[in-house]
Amino acid sequence: MKLHRTCDGMQRRDMLKAGVLSLGGLTLGNYMQMAHAGQVQPGRADRAIFIELPGGPSHLDTFDMKPDAASEYRGSFNPIPTNVPGIQISEHLPKLATVADKFAILRGVSHTLAAHRLGREYVNTGSKPIPALEYPGYGSVLSKEQPSETEIPSLVAVPKAGQGAGFLGIRFAALETNASPNYGEPFSVRGISLSGGIGIDEVQRRQNLLKKLDRRFAKLEKNDQLLEGLDKFGDQAYSMITSARAREAFDISREPESFSRQFGEESFGQSCMLALRLVESGVRLVSVQLGGWDTHTDNFSRLKDNNLPKLDAGLSGLLKGLEQRGLLETTAVFVTGEFGRTPKINSRSAEGGRDHYPRCMFMLMAGGAVNGGQVIGESDDNASGPRHEGISPDDVAASFYHNLGIDPTMEYDTNTGRPITLVRDGRIIDELFS
Amino acid sequence: MMNMIRQIFPYLHPLMTKPMIHLCQKDLPVGILAFVCGCMIASHVAMSPAFADPANAKSRSAESSNETDATLQPLSKRFANKDTAEVPDFQKHVIPLLGRLGCNGRACHGSFQGRGGFQLSLFGYDFKADHDALLDAASGRVDVDDVAESLILSKPSDADLHEGGKRFDKGTWQHHVLQQWIKAGATHDANTIHELNRVDISPAEILFSDKGETVKLTAIAHWKDGSSEDVTELCRFSSNNDAIAEIDNTGRIQSGGRGDTHVVVYYDKAVIPVPVIRPVGASIQSIASQPKHSIDRLVKQKLDKLGIVPSGLCTDSEFIRRASLDITGILPEAEVVRQFLADDSVNKREELIDGLLASPGYAAWWATRFSDWTGNSDEQLTNVLPIRNAATRLWYEWLRARLQKNVPYDEIIEGIVTAENRQPNEDYVSYCETMTQACKPGNEKLFAERDGLPIFWGRRNFIKPEERAIGFAYTFLGVRIECAQCHKHPFDKWSKNDFESFSKLFTPIRYNANLVNKESKQERQELLDAITNGEKLRGGDLRRAVQKSAQQGKTVPFGELIFDDSNIKRLRKTQAQAQRKRGKPRAIKIPTGKILGVEELVPLDVDPRDALMAWLRSADNPYFAKAIVNRVWSNYFGDGIVSPTDDMNLANPPVNQPLMDHLADEFIRHDFDLKWLHHKIVTSETYQRSSETNTTNLMDRTNFSHHVPRRLPAEVVYDAVILATGSDQHAEKIRTDLNQMAIAEGKPKRRNQQDFALEVFGQSIRESNCDCDRSDAPSLLQSIYLRNDADMHKRLSDKNGWVAQACSELGVAGPENSPEPRKAASRKRAESYRKQFLLRVAQYQKLSVEKQSGAKPQLQRDYNRMNAKLKSMKLDVPKLSKLLKDRNAWPELNAPNSIKAPVKTIRELIEEAYLRTLSRYPEPEETEISVSFIEESKTPADGMQSLLWALVNTKEFILSH
Repeated sequence: MKLHRTCDGMQRRDMLKAGVLSLGGLTLGNYMQMAHAGQVQPGRADRAIFIELPGGPSHLDTFDMKPDAASEYRGSFNPIPTNVPGIQISEHLPKLATVADKFAILRGVSHTLAAHRLGREYVNTGSKPIPALEYPGYGSVLSKEQPSETEIPSLVAVPKAGQGAGFLGIRFAALETNASPNYGEPFSVRGISLSGGIGIDEVQRRQNLLKKLDRRFAKLEKNDQLLEGLDKFGDQAYSMITSARAREAFDISREPESFSRQFGEESFGQSCMLALRLVESGVRLVSVQLGGWDTHTDNFSRLKDNNLPKLDAGLSGLLKGLEQRGLLETTAVFVTGEFGRTPKINSRSAEGGRDHYPRCMFMLMAGGAVNGGQVIGESDDNASGPRHEGISPDDVAASFYHNLGIDPTMEYDTNTGRPITLVRDGRIIDELFS
Repeated sequence: MMNMIRQIFPYLHPLMTKPMIHLCQKDLPVGILAFVCGCMIASHVAMSPAFADPANAKSRSAESSNETDATLQPLSKRFANKDTAEVPDFQKHVIPLLGRLGCNGRACHGSFQGRGGFQLSLFGYDFKADHDALLDAASGRVDVDDVAESLILSKPSDADLHEGGKRFDKGTWQHHVLQQWIKAGATHDANTIHELNRVDISPAEILFSDKGETVKLTAIAHWKDGSSEDVTELCRFSSNNDAIAEIDNTGRIQSGGRGDTHVVVYYDKAVIPVPVIRPVGASIQSIASQPKHSIDRLVKQKLDKLGIVPSGLCTDSEFIRRASLDITGILPEAEVVRQFLADDSVNKREELIDGLLASPGYAAWWATRFSDWTGNSDEQLTNVLPIRNAATRLWYEWLRARLQKNVPYDEIIEGIVTAENRQPNEDYVSYCETMTQACKPGNEKLFAERDGLPIFWGRRNFIKPEERAIGFAYTFLGVRIECAQCHKHPFDKWSKNDFESFSKLFTPIRYNANLVNKESKQERQELLDAITNGEKLRGGDLRRAVQKSAQQGKTVPFGELIFDDSNIKRLRKTQAQAQRKRGKPRAIKIPTGKILGVEELVPLDVDPRDALMAWLRSADNPYFAKAIVNRVWSNYFGDGIVSPTDDMNLANPPVNQPLMDHLADEFIRHDFDLKWLHHKIVTSETYQRSSETNTTNLMDRTNFSHHVPRRLPAEVVYDAVILATGSDQHAEKIRTDLNQMAIAEGKPKRRNQQDFALEVFGQSIRESNCDCDRSDAPSLLQSIYLRNDADMHKRLSDKNGWVAQACSELGVAGPENSPEPRKAASRKRAESYRKQFLLRVAQYQKLSVEKQSGAKPQLQRDYNRMNAKLKSMKLDVPKLSKLLKDRNAWPELNAPNSIKAPVKTIRELIEEAYLRTLSRYPEPEETEISVSFIEESKTPADGMQSLLWALVNTKEFILSH
């Protein structure tokens, strides 16, 4: 196990302290008790789409606006009403404003890790990073707990995974597409379609031969993650190559234009549509990334001209599309950056920017058992911290797992036999599901 | 098993949800105890004198501390009573205490926005800032007039007031320390930083024999002024692997699983690792057989302590494959493997090593690795040279030429660190002439012959002084200092000041494409004018014009690396003027910087790079030699003696300190001879161990007790596939002319334009000052690539492929001649066109000369029509004139290549396939499987293709083993 050190000097002791301070975590025992007593609603979703906004999107300019704050906080954007009375979001998210009934906004989400990598690891796993081991991302947990049929990958990342499989091991890592689909162009992941005049029969014969010849490391395989991973990927590659279903799932050109148009023409929107097709064909979790949120300078023009229109079209298209296909009920959607941004606008560039700010951020949840059209949590007057008790990334992670029918308090053993709770400090946010 | 043991011994674990129930062994039912003893507890380990027995640790530390009289007692004794007259020191006591209490942690007041209107420097050591913050009236943390009102007293002692909870009780020594300091005026003299000489930790090493044992550490600080003090209560503690040793915040260590790790103690600037071992088996005390090779001896010493028995030596075929791939990155040829296996000389392994180190592959592959570490990235070198796509090639060749000649490592680095863009006495125009020439593909040698690699200093991510500080430390020291850019380095002694002074060294060095020495400005302008014809061009237009001129062979202007001391010169000038006026010399302040860990200031009125280089190559430099030794080592073992390889810091000590020291010292003693280093490592038994494990070394992945299989690097995989699937002739061509190989940087590397396979297999992006830019983790996409990518299918069926060659040797039709049905149909059609047209030519030729001239236009039209059809089928047609001369110039299209008489049998070819992929002979069983597979295939060509496909897809092929 490689020891990862960070400038934050994250130490195990920090975990201890966190454990002492937050007594809200459910233990397996009381989760079961509550489940039996009907207090914990089992999730309805059996698949998920995780949208990561790396860089850290500004909460004040999107889903947690403070029109009454002083100008050095407020910024230049105005709020607009949504289709849910009382909920307002940024004027640069007009399409999302028409589907606000389909998602829940979490405000006043709060943590302490202001570095990109650590923050991402945190929101991608629901556990505060520690040096001694790496936690698995949501998709890797889902791949382990509820794997898809072998011909379909359990976990697909478009284009790259934000988080690895951590201590679960490389065999639960994502299939990364390495490229994003473009509007109106066919999309295929290289190597999945048969070529070179090789038929299915020949592929099968070859696979049988390989199984017979690849025996050298048989003895070592159990104890070596690398060998085990290679085997697993090999088997899966074989199933995918021989399956028409897998190939077709990636081919977004099969969608009628009337459907694909509502995702917008940007690559992010088309990635959302790809995600939809993939979960429809049985992939357990698809992660999609939209970057460019690290707006230390020129915060407003960058958001207005670039990021917000992309997010608006892609995410609204996704929520509508899921509903049209009858998938919203079974697909848990989770949208998050790694932190919010400083409420006070800095003066690094003429129009100002905002810096890293983990104390206050927003997240979005939709699908499955989530009740859309509501705001949970609240930030203070300047959105500089939660107004009351904040929501932690752990809480949201626990709720996401819960929505997927995975007990967030389940325990794993690492390969050194160390017991690890999936989400140790998370409290399921009941309001999401009520 | 693990589960069961855990049920019996649930131990304190912060990540465990269950409350801790500490069962003593005597609480266990006897039967279970016996069982546990049998499997878990090794026989009693004899203490080596270097190790403290945990049980006696206390008494030992008391006995050994001769300095006890002089050593101040801990604060808890001295400040137990609030009436003490002693005044605590801000640096020695107050800040460490705040650190120990958690106040300056990232989650609390160490956060960059502070907490509750109060900010401390993360991890302390920014004494002035912390003192100012504490005494800032607005924060109210310290109130000298009304001591009790000071918030650092009231907040942490009252859970209700303090978001961070209660940190100490009133009336405790912690309370007294802070109170006394405030009472006495809460002073701190920013000008006197106490120098810490060392901190002694006892016990200095810990050997556990069982799970659940505990030892408490004691820390004595020794200051430069001769004073010493027990500071255990002021230290922070951490464990590098808490599955083996857990440590709590009082310094009490509890043993866990077997293996070895370090716990780390932090106080003031000091970071002290303390080794902890819990042996795997009975410790081995065999004085009898000390290995001859020094690496083996030092590795064995550690393994003996751990009770680990190393694996035996690998087989000859494993060795030739492993050594070839590791030393040169190139898969060995079948014939070479055959000869090596047949060779029965005793020295054959060493001879092979010498041969590999002398081969061009060594320099080619290691220049690629050096390119990783030095950051040879096309992306970052955009526009550093006026001619595009040249910089990376020049950089690579510059390194390769030196490695080929085995130029000592320090001299190679000197050429980078102190690089000048001109040769001695070279004028600007000659410099530009040579560079323009050198940028032409094939002329890289001209650049390699020059002394320096100035473009290292021109990279886009290496411009700002702080970027250079980080990049310099990464490349030449294997140290990550970036943390100290914002705060005291959490794992090393570096303070923010150290980082800043180090960065300053790099401020006067400037280099970009538009910069030239003052004296050469005119010449540069003349060169530019010749290109633009006096037209005013800017930006992209100018770059394109320059690019075009260079292609036409005109000399274009190049940028220069400049030591910029214009500021100092200006100061001196003003000083001289002032002196003339008033007759009084006025001192001017020369800017200075500091080399990492060196006290002396480096004045920046001369180029500081010579001083930097002198420091790098000095024998007592703590990092320079170790960094390269460690990187080379990790190439051979998959992991460094320090891991990660670019993260040498005090809290991350080598897994085998004596080994690291020995290799680094010897490397310096051998004048930084890189080939000596490679030879030393590869000739050791430690390198030549088998990957088969025994019960003691099964779980060991850090102490080099067996070979740990790892995936081959991206470029090596890429080339290996091509060599394994290519015909002998094709492979031979690639081997001789390394330029096409990925290990020799033969493939493009620009962001988003990388070769797909190289990207998928994790080629380094060389952008982020991290050895982790290269990845050797497997992925699904890699498996898909090797199984089903169009690249792979093409290589297996290529007419230059080995399967085609094998089929010809077998006397059967090759893969090209058994195309898929659709292709076959189109060939058939094409062949009928050919026949028809040749018939048409024959008719034409029968005509009289006069008639021919009349019929020629029609013939030409027929030719064109036919030619267009065949072109659409991707077939070439000889020119009409050629066909008129000789109708046989166009051979039959679907004719099988002339099938020759068989020269090899299927069994011989299977053997060949194994040797060229896995570098070994097939086992009899494998031969039988392969024979029957080929016999059952549609055609022998199909069978051979599938066999080669399968071999390339085995784990054995993709791994170093």
